[in-house]
Amino acid sequence: MKAAERINTVINLECPDRVPLAPLLDHWAATYTGITNAELMSDPDKRFNAVLKTAIDFKWDMSFLAETVNTTLLKLGVPARLKLPGIDLPERSEHQFDEKEVMTEEDFDILESDGLIALFSKLIPRIYPEMTVESAMTDFARASTEITDQAAWLSENGIEPAVGFVIPGPSFEYFCFARSINVALTDLRRRPEKLKIAGKRFCQDMLDLAIASSGQNNISRVFIGLSRSSPVFLSNKIFEAFVLPDLEVLVNGLIDANRTPVFHCDTNWTKFLPYFQRFPKGKCIIELDSFTDIFKAKEILGGHMAIMGDVPSTLLAEGTRDEVMCYCKNLIEEIGGGGGFILSSGCSVPLNAKVDNVRAMSESIDEWGWYK
Amino acid sequence: MDRLAQTFSALEEDRVYQLVNECLEKSITPLLIVNELSRGMEKVGQLFKDDEYALAELIYAGEIFKEAMEKIKPLLLAGESRSAGLVIMGTVEGDIHDLGKNIVITMLECSGFKVIDLGVDVPAKKFVEAIKESGASLIGMSLLLTTAMDSLRNAIMAIEEAGIRNNIKIMIGGAPVSEHLRVETGADYLGHDAVEALTIARKVFSPSTVDAR
Repeated sequence: MKAAERINTVINLECPDRVPLAPLLDHWAATYTGITNAELMSDPDKRFNAVLKTAIDFKWDMSFLAETVNTTLLKLGVPARLKLPGIDLPERSEHQFDEKEVMTEEDFDILESDGLIALFSKLIPRIYPEMTVESAMTDFARASTEITDQAAWLSENGIEPAVGFVIPGPSFEYFCFARSINVALTDLRRRPEKLKIAGKRFCQDMLDLAIASSGQNNISRVFIGLSRSSPVFLSNKIFEAFVLPDLEVLVNGLIDANRTPVFHCDTNWTKFLPYFQRFPKGKCIIELDSFTDIFKAKEILGGHMAIMGDVPSTLLAEGTRDEVMCYCKNLIEEIGGGGGFILSSGCSVPLNAKVDNVRAMSESIDEWGWYK
Repeated sequence: MDRLAQTFSALEEDRVYQLVNECLEKSITPLLIVNELSRGMEKVGQLFKDDEYALAELIYAGEIFKEAMEKIKPLLLAGESRSAGLVIMGTVEGDIHDLGKNIVITMLECSGFKVIDLGVDVPAKKFVEAIKESGASLIGMSLLLTTAMDSLRNAIMAIEEAGIRNNIKIMIGGAPVSEHLRVETGADYLGHDAVEALTIARKVFSPSTVDAR
C-alpha cells in the first residue's frame, strides 16, 4: 500500500497493510536537521526541506508541514502576540504567545454583523501595530501558495501531507486567546448570548475559509484545535451550550464538503469522548496527546473514528529507546488491533526529543506494525 | 450569612455582590463576610473535586471573590487581614505560561494565604533570592513546556546549593510534571490542580504537620 491509501483505509476504519506512522512535526524538524528555530519559523524553503528530510529519514507515512510553527499562519490564526525565537526569545527555543485581552465586548457585535475578516481587521493592528491588514492578507495568500506547492512535493516523495487547513478551534478557543482566558471564561457567564451568536458567525466564516483553502491545496484533512474547551476547563453543561453547537457546524460542514476533520485534542478529553460519537462514522480522526486515556478512546470511539496518538512528549524527550518501543508496541497491539489507528506523537514531537526515541517509533512499526 | 456562601458556590455573581452590600449595611464584621466568601470558595473547590465544576468555574469564582473583596478590603482592620501563610509562586525559566500558576494563586489568596508572584520565565537565582528575602515556607514552581523541565531541575538545585533547601517546602505542577520528576528533583509535593495545591499549602502551614507528603 502507498501512504495515501494506508491513511485513507484507516479513516474508513478498515485494516491497512500496516499501522501508518505520522508524528506531529514542528520545532523538532529544526533540532533534527540542524537549522535554528528562527529559520524554521520564518524561512519557508528551509522549513520544507527540514520537514521533508525528517519525514523521509524516519519513514513517515504522513507529515504535517510544520504549519504550527509557520510564523505567517500563527500570526493570522492566533489572536495573541507571537514571541519569536531569534527575536524575542533565544534562537533555539520554542515560540510562545503573549496572551492579552485584545478583543473588546463591542467586537462581538462586529464579528456577528460583519464577519471574521472584519474582526480580524480590528485585532491585527492591536496585536501587531507594525503590521497592516493588507500586508497580513498578502502574507496569507503567499503562505497558502507555498503550502499548496509543498504539499505536492511531499506527495511526490511518497509522504501524505497531513492537513490542508488549521482551524484554531470552535469559537470559544479563539475567544480564549483574543479576550484572554480569564475574561473568556467569565464571558461564558456574563454575556452568554453574545458568545453564542458571534460564535456562530465565527464558525461559518472559518468553515468557508477551511473549505476554500483545503480545496486550493487539495489536502482533504482539516485540523480542528481543541484545548481550552476540554473537560479540564469546561463542565458538561458549558461544553454542551457553547462548544458542541460550534463543533457540529464545523464537522458536518467539513464532511458535507468531503473533508476529514482531525480533532487535535490537547489535555485530558476522556470525560467528553462520548460526545464525539455523534459525528458520522468513518469520517473523522481524533488525535490524542497522552493526557486522554487512549484505551478508553478505543473503547468508546474505536469502530467509529480513526484514533491517532499518543507517544508522550516527556517520553520522547527523556525516556529511553526501549521505553518508547515498549509504549509503541502496546499502542499498536491494543489500539491498532483491527485497524483504525495511526501511530503518532502525543501533540508535537518536542524540541528536545532524542533522535533514538523518534527512530524507535519507526522501528516499532517495522517490528510489530504489520497486519497479517 | 449561610446564604452568602451558598450563593457564592452557586456562582450567582450579582446576588453575591448584593448580599455583601447588605451585610456591610447591617454592619456585620467584615472578617465574617470574608470567612463566608472563603467558605463559598471551599465549596467551589469541593464541586471541582467532585467533577461538577471545571477550571472555568474556579476562575469565575476567583473573579467574583476579588470583586467582592474590593468592597470589603477598605473596611478590614489591619489585624484582621492576618495571613494563613506566605507562599512564593512562579513559572520556571524559559516558559511564559501562567494560567495554572494564576489559578493556584487565586485559590491560595481566596483561602487567606499571601502570595508573592514572581511571574513567568523566572530564573533560578530569582527563586533563591525570593526565599531568602521573604522567609516564605512554601514555594510553587509551574511549567507547561517539556523543554522547561531542565529549568525546574536547575531552580531546585540552586535552592539546594544556596543552602536554604531545609527552610522551604517545594511544590511543583504543570503538564510535564510527574511523580517521577518530583522524586528525581527532590521536590516535596506534586500538585495536579489548583485545589490540590491549596490542600498542600494547608498541610505545610498546619501546626500539626510533621511530614505531610
